[in-house]
Amino acid sequence: MGRYLLRRLLLLVPVLLGVSVVVFLVLHLAPGDPAEIMLGSQATQEDVTRLRADLGLDEPLPLQYARWMAHVLQGDLGRSIRMRQPVLGEVLIRFRATLILTATALLLSSVGGIALGVLSAARPRSAVDQLSTLGSIFGASMPSFWLGLVLMVCFSLWLGWLPASGMYGAHGPGGLADLLSHLVLPAVTLAAASTTIIARLTRSTMLDILRQDFVRTARAKGLVERGVVLRHALRNALIPTVTVVGVQAGYLLGGAILTETVFAWPGVGTLMLQGILARDFPLVQGCVLVIALVFVLFNLAVDLLYAFLDPRIRYE
Amino acid sequence: MRFGQRWWSCAALAVLVLLVAGTGPSHGQAASTLVVGLVAEPVLLDPAQVTDLNSNRVGRRVVETLVTFADESTQIVPGLADSWTVSKDGLSYTFKLRKGIAFHDGTPFNAQAVKFSIERQINPEHPANKLGKYPFAAYFFGNVKAVEVMDESTVRFILKEPRASFLAILTAGAASVVSPTAAMKAGQDYGASPVGTGPFKFVQWDRGQRVVLEKNPSYWRFPVKVDRVIFRPITEDQARLTELLTGALDLIVGTPPDFVAQLENHPKVTLQRQVGAHVWYLGFNNSKKPFDDKRVRQALNYAVDKEAIVRDVLKGTGAVSKGPVLPGTWGDESGIKPFPYDPERARKLLAEAGLASGFSTTLWVPESGSGMQSPVAMSTIIQSNLKAVGVNVTLQTMEWGAFLAKLRTKEQDLFALSWMAGSEDPDLVMYPLLHSSQWTPVGPNRAMYKNPRFDEVLTQARLTTDQAKRAQLYREAQRLLHDDPPWIFIDHEVQTAAFAKRVQGFKLHPSFDLRVETISLK
Repeated sequence: MGRYLLRRLLLLVPVLLGVSVVVFLVLHLAPGDPAEIMLGSQATQEDVTRLRADLGLDEPLPLQYARWMAHVLQGDLGRSIRMRQPVLGEVLIRFRATLILTATALLLSSVGGIALGVLSAARPRSAVDQLSTLGSIFGASMPSFWLGLVLMVCFSLWLGWLPASGMYGAHGPGGLADLLSHLVLPAVTLAAASTTIIARLTRSTMLDILRQDFVRTARAKGLVERGVVLRHALRNALIPTVTVVGVQAGYLLGGAILTETVFAWPGVGTLMLQGILARDFPLVQGCVLVIALVFVLFNLAVDLLYAFLDPRIRYE
Repeated sequence: MRFGQRWWSCAALAVLVLLVAGTGPSHGQAASTLVVGLVAEPVLLDPAQVTDLNSNRVGRRVVETLVTFADESTQIVPGLADSWTVSKDGLSYTFKLRKGIAFHDGTPFNAQAVKFSIERQINPEHPANKLGKYPFAAYFFGNVKAVEVMDESTVRFILKEPRASFLAILTAGAASVVSPTAAMKAGQDYGASPVGTGPFKFVQWDRGQRVVLEKNPSYWRFPVKVDRVIFRPITEDQARLTELLTGALDLIVGTPPDFVAQLENHPKVTLQRQVGAHVWYLGFNNSKKPFDDKRVRQALNYAVDKEAIVRDVLKGTGAVSKGPVLPGTWGDESGIKPFPYDPERARKLLAEAGLASGFSTTLWVPESGSGMQSPVAMSTIIQSNLKAVGVNVTLQTMEWGAFLAKLRTKEQDLFALSWMAGSEDPDLVMYPLLHSSQWTPVGPNRAMYKNPRFDEVLTQARLTTDQAKRAQLYREAQRLLHDDPPWIFIDHEVQTAAFAKRVQGFKLHPSFDLRVETISLK
């Protein structure tokens, strides 16, 4: 177990290195230059050249990358081109908000998705099953920003039940209740697509398992159906579901960019979007690196969870 | 441990993590708080380093300039300086500073602070020069040779060459006076905690959420009536609008054109419009065939239906333009009217120029950009208007930064661009955009326009300090531009603000500044 963990942690290094190279290249090769964007239409060639030199953008790409990497290895993600603030600090401040949003969405989608899947599988072709199938198709095909806007118009503008944006109300009391009321709409929006995926997968896995011999044995023993479904079948259906939940966590972290922008949620997503629009290279690189790190660590946690769910699984 | 118990402990752990992570600050409600919705988060709040509108709108509440704009125009009035004299040769400007004003950190505002604020930007040896990037230092202060402290409350600017619009330049954010003590103490982080003499003090910046300012109780100009202002960045238009209509925001600026009609007659809000010191134009490459023939340029001005663009695309958030100068200001030539929409006349002029069967050309358009309004939609209408007179235009849309870089290649035929002078002084629009010394890549004359008489008039106006004489010269310049148009003149942006009924005393300013210090709350 210890060796396995060590090996997985060592694998982090090439993964993050690869991510950093790809992000660096994509950013630098895409059209648009931070100096041009910062200075706008009033800039002269002289201004642009001076600012580019100031920012070190006139150097060859490999040199720029090496310089950035050397700093990263010392734990310094550099300063944002536009904000002049240290990138690491900015990303960490924002990451708390993203973590709250994605963790809530992940909780909603796993609990909701598994419950829906189990209900549909326990009574295939029932009204619940049909409704859940319809809802899944709807949920999976709906773009999250559109769902977000629809929810916002219904629950904020028309009904006035929930705030439309931000994390705390400017006039509000602050604290946990305020946070939770601001969290509802973005979390539901973000969770929608994942919920449907988890529900579909749980349903099909459960259907397979419910047809297996040990389930028939359990039923033959005279166990109540609830016990059979929840204790015997669901537990065995959870392995593939947990895998998908792990993948969905990454999807949620990425999908948070859209949801955060729609709801002005002060997370890494909105920060990264501003960074991308301004071609703020160090800022975007820092955001992606941190997100990638979290994603990889989360997947590791999911892999370790297998052993917890199924004691037969052992790591060498 | 049984499986069910494990499951519950997992869930409990998740909830616990959420609770711990979510215990944020409690925000007590202040006596009178104004909440403003911005389109984007300010980037940093040191106006000398700012390149975007939102940062300026917040930062300029904290710091001030020696001279400033009047309440409802961009006429220049005293600011931190209460009077000034200009030497006969136009090379030295001496300012008498107001006495008894202190920065928010308690240090005195004086001539040394003025010198510090400007010199940190232009003098590479200055101790604060390396603490920030001052992107417009050359643009604004390249002409400043020295800033001299005459005494505690007198400061003199020595220029390299005379320039009549120098006072207008001193109204720019970059010319704001900052507390030298605070700037040196904060170092590179000064942009996140500005200290000035303005109507509001900087209090707190919750990243991604809000910037909080508190009133300066001893503000020298007038008593500020709101206790706090909170600026919240909300990028999504629908969210900003919803927050305004549900009372979570008191004021929003930059209402998207599609929402204007909805807000116009809304019982809960007031919609305000104001023409800003801005111009949106379709540049010709004046040095390239067939645009070197002024009949072709006139023809294309007649061919485009500006009224339709303003009405259908901008939904009233633009005013048809007849030239670069803002209508109704001191330099405006009121005798000129916008080119009417007259495709017949356009065809005739094209025929006279030997292009009766039309021609094909390319129009470069940025996808978005500061002051660009709705560039692609506007250009699409222009494209169809031009097609109607036989000019086949291919649209090429580009990312903003790439677009600006490409314009320096001088390979453009037609291009869509705008200019936010933020001041009504014609020198700040016409000289950079149209004087032949400013041809790209040296300056922003991307239309490669050259008209010797126009150059001469503009240079003369720059050297004259008498405003009446300058006005006369600029009026002549506009007549020249109308006859020999460098661009297709399209529109001046009409800014919009929507605010709750409890907001009193707010006025949009033509400089695009957001003067919330005049507001009181009912």
